[in-house]
Amino acid sequence: MNAIECHRLTRQFDRLVAVADLDLAIPAGTIFGFLGPNGAGKTTTVRMLCALIAPSSGTARVAGFDVQTQAAAVRAATGILTETPGLYDTLSALENLTFFARLYGLSATQAAERAAHYLRLFELWERRNDPVGGFSKGMRQKLAIARALLHDPPVVFLDEPTAGLDPAAARAVRDVIKTLRAGGRTIFLTTHNLAEADELCDLIGVFRTRLISLDTPANLRARLFGQSVRVVLAGPAAPLAPLVQRLPFVSEVSAEERVLLVRLANPDQHNPALVRALVAAGADICYLEPFTPSLETVYLELIQEAVTVDGAS
Amino acid sequence: MFHWERITVLIGKEWLELRRSRGLLLSTFSPPLILPLFALGLIFAMGLVSDPDTAEIPAAAIDPALADLGLEALAQVIFGRQFSTLFLLLPMVIPNVLASYSIVGEKNRRTLEPLLAAPISTGDLLLGKVLAAILPGIALTWLCGLIFAAGLGFVAVDPVVPGLVLHPGWMVILLLTSPILALISVALTVMVSARVNDPRSAQQIAGVLIVPVMLLFFGQMLGLFVLNPAVALLFSLVLALVAVGLLWLATQVFQREKILTRWR
Repeated sequence: MNAIECHRLTRQFDRLVAVADLDLAIPAGTIFGFLGPNGAGKTTTVRMLCALIAPSSGTARVAGFDVQTQAAAVRAATGILTETPGLYDTLSALENLTFFARLYGLSATQAAERAAHYLRLFELWERRNDPVGGFSKGMRQKLAIARALLHDPPVVFLDEPTAGLDPAAARAVRDVIKTLRAGGRTIFLTTHNLAEADELCDLIGVFRTRLISLDTPANLRARLFGQSVRVVLAGPAAPLAPLVQRLPFVSEVSAEERVLLVRLANPDQHNPALVRALVAAGADICYLEPFTPSLETVYLELIQEAVTVDGAS
Repeated sequence: MFHWERITVLIGKEWLELRRSRGLLLSTFSPPLILPLFALGLIFAMGLVSDPDTAEIPAAAIDPALADLGLEALAQVIFGRQFSTLFLLLPMVIPNVLASYSIVGEKNRRTLEPLLAAPISTGDLLLGKVLAAILPGIALTWLCGLIFAAGLGFVAVDPVVPGLVLHPGWMVILLLTSPILALISVALTVMVSARVNDPRSAQQIAGVLIVPVMLLFFGQMLGLFVLNPAVALLFSLVLALVAVGLLWLATQVFQREKILTRWR
C-alpha cells in the first residue's frame, strides 16, 4: 500500500509554477528523500501533501486520504517538522508538547504520557519545565520533532531534521527516524544533507519544479554512472586514457592525475582484461577498486542535466 | 460545527502565554483599573463645586429627569454620564492589544504553520483566538463598570445620582455594546494582521475604533440624544451589523492558504 500518492500534482502562484505534474507513489514504511535546490518547490509540495494549501490541479492521497476532500483527516494522519521549529518560547517544553497533543485530539492523560515519552527519548526530560526560549537550537529542533510524532501519525514530514544539531544529536535523530521506519511509518524527508539522505532513504526523489528522478539510491547511481572502477596508477593517468577508451567493453573513461575512472558493462568479467591491457601498455597499477559515486555527485549530475534541458527548451 | 474541546485548549494556551508575558499583562490590564477610580475621583470633585452654568449644558437641558436636581448633583450626573461612555474604550483596546500579540506575534515567531498543520479547522482556530482576546477585555470592562457603580454611591452628593448615571441605557451599553465592540476590534485586528509584521502596527487600528465611542460621547454632551435603552439598543444593533460584516471579512482573510502564502 502506498502511503503517499500524487498524480500530476501542480501548484501555480499567479504565473509562477511552483510544482508541475508531480507523480509520486511512496510505499508505506519507506523513508523518502525529497531533494532539490532552494526554491525548487519542495515546501509547496509538502504543504500540499499536508493539506495546508490546495493544489491548482492534480490529485494526492496521503495515508489513504484525499488532500482536498479529506483535509482534516490528512492533517490528523500526518506530523510535520517545519523549516523553523515554531515553538512557543514562553511555554515550557512539556506545555508545548501537551498543547499540541491536545490539539491533535489526545486526552489530557494521553497527552501527558506521550509528551513524557518523547521528552525522555530526546533527552529533554530534565528540562521539561523550562521555557523553550532558553533552549539551544538543537534542543528546539528535537522538541519540534517530538511534536511532529506526538499523535503517532503514519506519515511524517521532516524538513531538515538534523539542521543545527551537533553530531551526537544528529545521530540520535537519525536513529529515531530509522526506528520510525521500523515501526511502519512513512517518512518524507526534505534535506540538503545528502550524506544523511544516502544513509537513511530507501527512495530518493530529485526535484526542481518537476520530478527529475525517482529511484533507490543504488539505482540512481547505476543509472547515471553505470558500474565503474577506479584504477590508481603509480604515474600520470591521462596518457593511458585513449588506450582504455578503445577497449570494446569500456563505455566511458576519465583521467585525473594518477586515477583512471572507467565505466564498464560488467566489472567482474572485464576487469582482468582491463588490467592486462594497462600492464601491456607499461602502466604500473597500484590498486583497483569499485567506484561508488556519492549521492551528492549523483544529485549534482541530475540537477545539472535538468538545468541543461530547461535551458534548451 | 465548532469543536469546543480544541477551542478551549487553544484559549488555554493563549492565556498561559499571556500570563507568562508579565510586561504585556501589566501594561494591558493595570491602566483600565485606574479608569473607574479616576472617574469616581472627578465625580466627587464635581460635587464640591456649585456652578450655575452647569444647568445651561445642552445635555442637562434635554433630559427632564434632571430638571429638579441641585447644581452639584446635576454636575455629577452629567459628568458621570459622559465618563461612563468612556468605559466602551476598554473592550476595544484590550482585545485589540491581545489579538495583535496573539496573531501577529505567532506570525513573527513562525509558530502559525505547525498550528495550521494540526487538525483544527480555521473556524475553530479563529474563534479560539477571538475568544481568547475578547473575554478578558469584556471581563475587565464589566469589572471596571462594577467598581464604578459600587463607588458611585460613596461619592454622590444626592442619593438619586447613581440611578441617573447608571441608567438602563448605560447598562445596555455596558452589557451588550461592549462585547460587540470587542468583536469589531478583533475582527479588524485580524484583517490588519495579514498586512503587518509588528503587533504595535496592528494596534494602530484602535485609532479607528474610538470613532463610535466618540460619537456617543459628544452626542450626549451636545444634547443630540439621551442615551436611553432605545438609543442604546439601536446603537448596538448598528454595531452588531458592522461586527457581522467585519467578522465575515476576517474569516476570508484567516484561511490556511492565505496565511501561508499571502500573509507578509
